[in-house]
Amino acid sequence: MQRFLDPGVLASISSLDLLAKTVVDGFVAGLHRSPDFGFSQEFAEYRAYTPGDDLRHVDWNLFARTERTYLKRYRGETNSQLTILLDASNSMQYTSGSPSSGPPAKMDYARYIAASLFYLAIRGQRDAAGLIVFDDEVREYIRPSTRPGQLARLFAGLEHAEARARTDFAKPVLHFQNFLHRRGIAILISDFYESPETIVNAVAPLRFHGHEVVLFHVLDPEEIRPTMKGSAVLVDLETDQRIEVVPEYTKTTYRAKIDAHIDDLRDRAHAAGIDYQLLVTNQPLDSVLREYLTLRQAGN
Amino acid sequence: MGFLAPWFLGGLAALGVPVFVHLLRRHVTTPQPVSSLMFFERGTQSSTRHRRLRYLLLFALRFALVLFIVLAFANPFLRRAAAGANDRLLLIVLDNSFSMRQGTRFADAKQQALSTLAAKSHSQKAQIVALGGQLEVLTQPITDETQLHAALESIQPGDGHASFGELGRDLRALSETARSPADLHLFSDMQRSAMPANFADMVMPPNVKLILHSAAQGTTTPPNWTVESVNAPAELADPKDPKRSRVQAVIAGYNTPAATKSISLVVNGKTLATRKVDVPANGRATVEFAPLDVGYGFSRCQVRIESGNGGADAFPADDASVFAVRRSDPERVLFVHAAGDNRSALYFGAALDSAAHASFVLQSVAAEQATDLDPSKFAFVVISDAMSLPSIFEHALAAYVAKGGNVLITLGTAAAHHQRIPLWGGDAGEPRDYARNGAASSVGVLDFSYPALAQSQPGTDNGGWADVKVFYAVSVDPAHARTAARLADGTPLLLEKQVGEGRILLLTSGFDNLTNDLPLHPVFVAFVDRTARYLSGTEALSGERLVDSFVQLRASTHASTQSAGSVEVIDPDGHRPLSLSEARTAQSLRLERAGFYQIHFVNGRDAVIGVNPDRRESNLEAMTPDLLALWSGSSPGGGVPQSASAADGETGYRLQSFWWWVMLLVLLAAAGESALASGYLGTLREDP
Repeated sequence: MQRFLDPGVLASISSLDLLAKTVVDGFVAGLHRSPDFGFSQEFAEYRAYTPGDDLRHVDWNLFARTERTYLKRYRGETNSQLTILLDASNSMQYTSGSPSSGPPAKMDYARYIAASLFYLAIRGQRDAAGLIVFDDEVREYIRPSTRPGQLARLFAGLEHAEARARTDFAKPVLHFQNFLHRRGIAILISDFYESPETIVNAVAPLRFHGHEVVLFHVLDPEEIRPTMKGSAVLVDLETDQRIEVVPEYTKTTYRAKIDAHIDDLRDRAHAAGIDYQLLVTNQPLDSVLREYLTLRQAGN
Repeated sequence: MGFLAPWFLGGLAALGVPVFVHLLRRHVTTPQPVSSLMFFERGTQSSTRHRRLRYLLLFALRFALVLFIVLAFANPFLRRAAAGANDRLLLIVLDNSFSMRQGTRFADAKQQALSTLAAKSHSQKAQIVALGGQLEVLTQPITDETQLHAALESIQPGDGHASFGELGRDLRALSETARSPADLHLFSDMQRSAMPANFADMVMPPNVKLILHSAAQGTTTPPNWTVESVNAPAELADPKDPKRSRVQAVIAGYNTPAATKSISLVVNGKTLATRKVDVPANGRATVEFAPLDVGYGFSRCQVRIESGNGGADAFPADDASVFAVRRSDPERVLFVHAAGDNRSALYFGAALDSAAHASFVLQSVAAEQATDLDPSKFAFVVISDAMSLPSIFEHALAAYVAKGGNVLITLGTAAAHHQRIPLWGGDAGEPRDYARNGAASSVGVLDFSYPALAQSQPGTDNGGWADVKVFYAVSVDPAHARTAARLADGTPLLLEKQVGEGRILLLTSGFDNLTNDLPLHPVFVAFVDRTARYLSGTEALSGERLVDSFVQLRASTHASTQSAGSVEVIDPDGHRPLSLSEARTAQSLRLERAGFYQIHFVNGRDAVIGVNPDRRESNLEAMTPDLLALWSGSSPGGGVPQSASAADGETGYRLQSFWWWVMLLVLLAAAGESALASGYLGTLREDP
């Protein structure tokens, strides 16, 4: 059985709830561990007792055997906070596939990512999760919470997130800092059609505030390796600007440029302590979920 | 430079196709949405420039391909200086046909020809040709003016019928071997009747420039009466026979008013009778002389229009028509039939009596009674379904045929019981009994040029043979024999074989009205009449012919080598046209002059033949100026674009077409375009 469903298949699932459950349960089952594991139950380390330490943490069994006083330390039980920043600009509408076949639109793929992460965070980890939808402004904000019904609100927020306008990272990120008071994980999902320097400069302040920041770079396969059959007039979805392009250019110069852009963004993100993940819309979502769990573990 | 087919240049509009494909089509490309043009902006300009540079060669090749194809169809030519006047052959054709005897036509034409010859440069080659009944080349292309002058002077007016179609055909054939340019000067009266039925026949080859010199005075056609035709018996047995002893003549007028003309019948220089006949304007009238009272032997007769009445005749030379009549006792014909067959002789004899042109007496005997008969005493012999002949008689018959006698053999039902056909030299094949199958066969194919079947205009009823039903015929192998008629299923019906000096005709059906119903049809009388005249040889001995027709002097060359005799021919001028060697070997004689020819054949028979000019020569109407202009204008190749080097004599240039070089460029452009375009296609198929 296929563990992670193809994004093209996921596109046929209309309910985000069901979609996220399908993805996450499949992912967790693949880990061969109980879905009820908790980091707060896990042993972390032994430390020698020093005056002033809480005696409740002394490992008395060890003291009985060795007559030495050690403190047994566990991982903290504090829940993490996940905030997803979803780019809802017009460019996210692009897809090289048709409605019945091929990869989904980048916006839909971003919804699948967000929904799966919300499901894993809230149902699996008991983490608080929130959502910010933005383009050149912040369109919707759902405060991170673990309250009952939060998952439904988040899914509803994702459903209502319609791609429009163009992307402007600088302006909404200022608002993020106002919204994100508590340190947590901030995942920015976008196609990042902007200068890598601008993107990193806009996102870096979140990192300074102690957030674990991840950039999920969502691109259609056709955007990485275009396969034009002949010269064509291309229309920018955000600016409506038109340019004629010949196949020879897309096979050579364009590919070099987009590769350079991806590499530059990855390098600058890592330099700023930001994780970067390139997601192509025809790839399964397991790498997304694995990234989240890794971050959460590292954050605790 | 010019184009021989400039209307094809309209195809240059097709040049818009590569322009559209390469320069215009990109503007109608369907827009495709993309997320961002962030990485396309600066690349677009360079890519376009790049594309333009790469496709420039392809565009140029395609443009050149279309351009060269259009140019090739337009047939471009270069106007090059024509061969110098000294390099062009001066071809002088002098018409010496019968019509040139009218007035001073021939003398004028010859004078013009001499002037043209005198005007040529010393180094220019010239050739003299006489156009009479046939094209007669008198000299090779030479520069010797004395020889050329002598050849031209030697041409005398003839009695033949000129044909411009034959002139065109001969020159086209000549140009196949000699492609050098020539100026053809035709000195003729440009008679309209000399034109062929198809104008294309008289078109000159591209390398010949035609220059016409008309010898006809004035623009109006002179009035001319002529004896158009004479219907008279060639053989006459009884001058008092009202059916045969008469002469009918048709008097025709060309461009003439209505007139009363006196027509005389002259026999051996003595006027026997004169009739007056009213000839309508531009019309015809018939005059009849009867009886034709001639003595035994040959009589030289003519029907003559008397001069001096009924208006001036511009061309007196054609006012008489000559013919020869041979009076003799009726010739005997031996008819050998099977013992029980009396019907065949009855039908054949009745038809022979009804024939209008010959006088024969039929002697009918049964095969068994023919033993003592001498075939040489008969004009010809008919063997009717007598498959078994007495051996002595058959031997005598074979000797008779070898010496020039003629035999007609018919095959009836007796052929089913006897395989061997006497004298024929072959066996009878399978009999075809059509009556047994409840049907009859019909005569399918007839050779109307065959003397026994000769008809000038057979008509749609197959010359009267269409209704003849054949119930029984014998299939005979036609090897070594001429097949003159076949049945509808291909079975030979009438065969002729040459044996020695004589002929054997074989009719594979009978005359008894049982094996076929031929004796009941009118065509039977005509068939018997012609066959009798053909077999008796009287047709060749007297009567009339046209100038340029032929008389057969010998049956075959094979026989002539064995027979030591020679033919003696005396032409109308009293000369002997055949040399001694020709008299011993000549197969046939061409009757070149009008008048009476006297011939003594190898077999001892004499003949006197009246020869008349072709009456088409009597119509003196000339070709219209439009026709002349069309003819002379058709020669330089203006309407013949396929000519590689058309002569353009008017300007002193010749056109050098080079469309094949353009086609070569088309080939190169197509190859280059294919190679380049396939290279681009290969780039497009490349996967990342």
